[in-house]
Amino acid sequence: MVAVRVRRAVVALVALVLLYGIAAQALHGRLPDRIWMGSHYVDNIQLLPTWGSLAEEGVFLAESDILASSVLVSTRRVLAGLLLGSLVGIAIGLATGRARRFDAIADPWVTFFRFTPALALLPLYVVWFGYGELSKILLIASSVAVITLLGAHHGVRAVPRVYLDAAASLGASPRLAFRRVVLPYALPHIFASIRVATGLAWVTIVVAELIDAKMPSLGYLLALSGAYPRVPTMLIALATVGALVLAFDLIVLFVHARATRWMRRTS
Amino acid sequence: MRRAITQRSLLWLASLVALVGAYTVVASLAQRPDVLPTTPEILQTFAALVVRGQPAPMDGMGDMHHMHHHHPGRSSDQVDTLVQQGVTLQDALGVSTLRVLFGLVVGLPLGMAIGVLLGWSRRTDDYLHPIYVLVRSVPPLALITYIMLWLGHSEAHRLIPIVYAVATTAVIPTYHSVRDVSARYLVAARSLGARGSLLVTKVLLPAASPAVLGGLRYAVAIAWMTAVGAEMLMAENGMGNLLVGGGMWSSRTQTRSDPAVIIAGVITLAAAGWAMDAGTRLLRARLTRWVR
Repeated sequence: MVAVRVRRAVVALVALVLLYGIAAQALHGRLPDRIWMGSHYVDNIQLLPTWGSLAEEGVFLAESDILASSVLVSTRRVLAGLLLGSLVGIAIGLATGRARRFDAIADPWVTFFRFTPALALLPLYVVWFGYGELSKILLIASSVAVITLLGAHHGVRAVPRVYLDAAASLGASPRLAFRRVVLPYALPHIFASIRVATGLAWVTIVVAELIDAKMPSLGYLLALSGAYPRVPTMLIALATVGALVLAFDLIVLFVHARATRWMRRTS
Repeated sequence: MRRAITQRSLLWLASLVALVGAYTVVASLAQRPDVLPTTPEILQTFAALVVRGQPAPMDGMGDMHHMHHHHPGRSSDQVDTLVQQGVTLQDALGVSTLRVLFGLVVGLPLGMAIGVLLGWSRRTDDYLHPIYVLVRSVPPLALITYIMLWLGHSEAHRLIPIVYAVATTAVIPTYHSVRDVSARYLVAARSLGARGSLLVTKVLLPAASPAVLGGLRYAVAIAWMTAVGAEMLMAENGMGNLLVGGGMWSSRTQTRSDPAVIIAGVITLAAAGWAMDAGTRLLRARLTRWVR
């Protein structure tokens, strides 16, 4: 069963690669290569670069170490933001889920941040924290914190009353009940929210890195290849961001599966 | 029970008042309007942005000075630029709202169609799911320049990322609910002789709608985020443009921005997002009244 699925996935991906190659070859030289950029014309643009020129560009980016260093810098920022944001978010979310009073106090602020598109905070962070590293990491952390907060909150609230009553009647202290009943129950919710937050963190970093346009970073690689414009570089940068998003998603899924090994799975 | 609710709303209100009060005190003590604008200054900025200024003749400082004289509220680099361009908060919000609505109206059916396609048959799912995962992984805002190369400077490179973001998020809930439904109801419906479009419209979509509408809330949030991001990067209007002070951010990094304008814009965006979310929840409750 799994073998069939893997075979089909491979067939689909190979077909995609071939189709793109054929389309790029067929349209090579037929697409306009002179493009109006709003204020001036730019020549020699390959709108649909062939695999050959993509490979050439890829080798250049890899050998000049541009790609690797960009990936490293952007990944570090995303990781720092994810770590900071999810620690704060999960801590507050667990607290608002457990303590009604704290929930009432935190609610207006959670509501406010929840409906603010995180990217809108970027200009404000730039005013407060400058164009440097701090604004970017805090921006990612804010968007991550809101989502993980809601995940943890709903996870705690979803614990059935019976479980808590049972734990209490067996003599478990609130602290023990929290650690052995509430936390395990909330874990899937928390992991689901971390998955969403990871995707969002990458969206955020791409825009945040366009602001303080400094090499090396993936956002800047995108911006620069768009300014020239140099399509092969742009597509490779896009594909790299996509691959990183995918890799992060798989890592979170893997950690989730490890952390909840004790659960029975239906599928 | 009622007492608990009263206590809750009292705490809620107290928290709001306390933080606004704390901000007011800190900001007026700090005396740094370029970093922490005071609460009255933020209110004045609101007023300045809501009232449409006279579009200033672009010649000479004398005229600009004249214009400030007539214009109510606060004045700063960013406010002046916006007022000169005839930008108002309500116009910017209107433009962004239209973009978000366009993204939802086009993106949701598209995403749902893909979700039904993937969830319907095991075979198509096996072939197309890997491709969907690849497509989903690319952040929509990163696509802006590539779209621009293909389609030129137009509305397209602001709208396509929003549609893309909404569609990719709408796929998942549709996909999962269609798969669940297939297992439970489809066999029964088929054995009663239902097929083709009848199956889709009478069985599949109604059964999938609660989950899809649940995902709608997230799609709305993503649509706002993408719209504001796209406007910050590449647009001459909308809330994102207002936040970065009229003009694309990439070309204006040297301009001193006014935190009062940004705070006013962020508050407006939060209110708009909240209102749209409330609308979504209402819609969901009405459309799925039959769900117990």
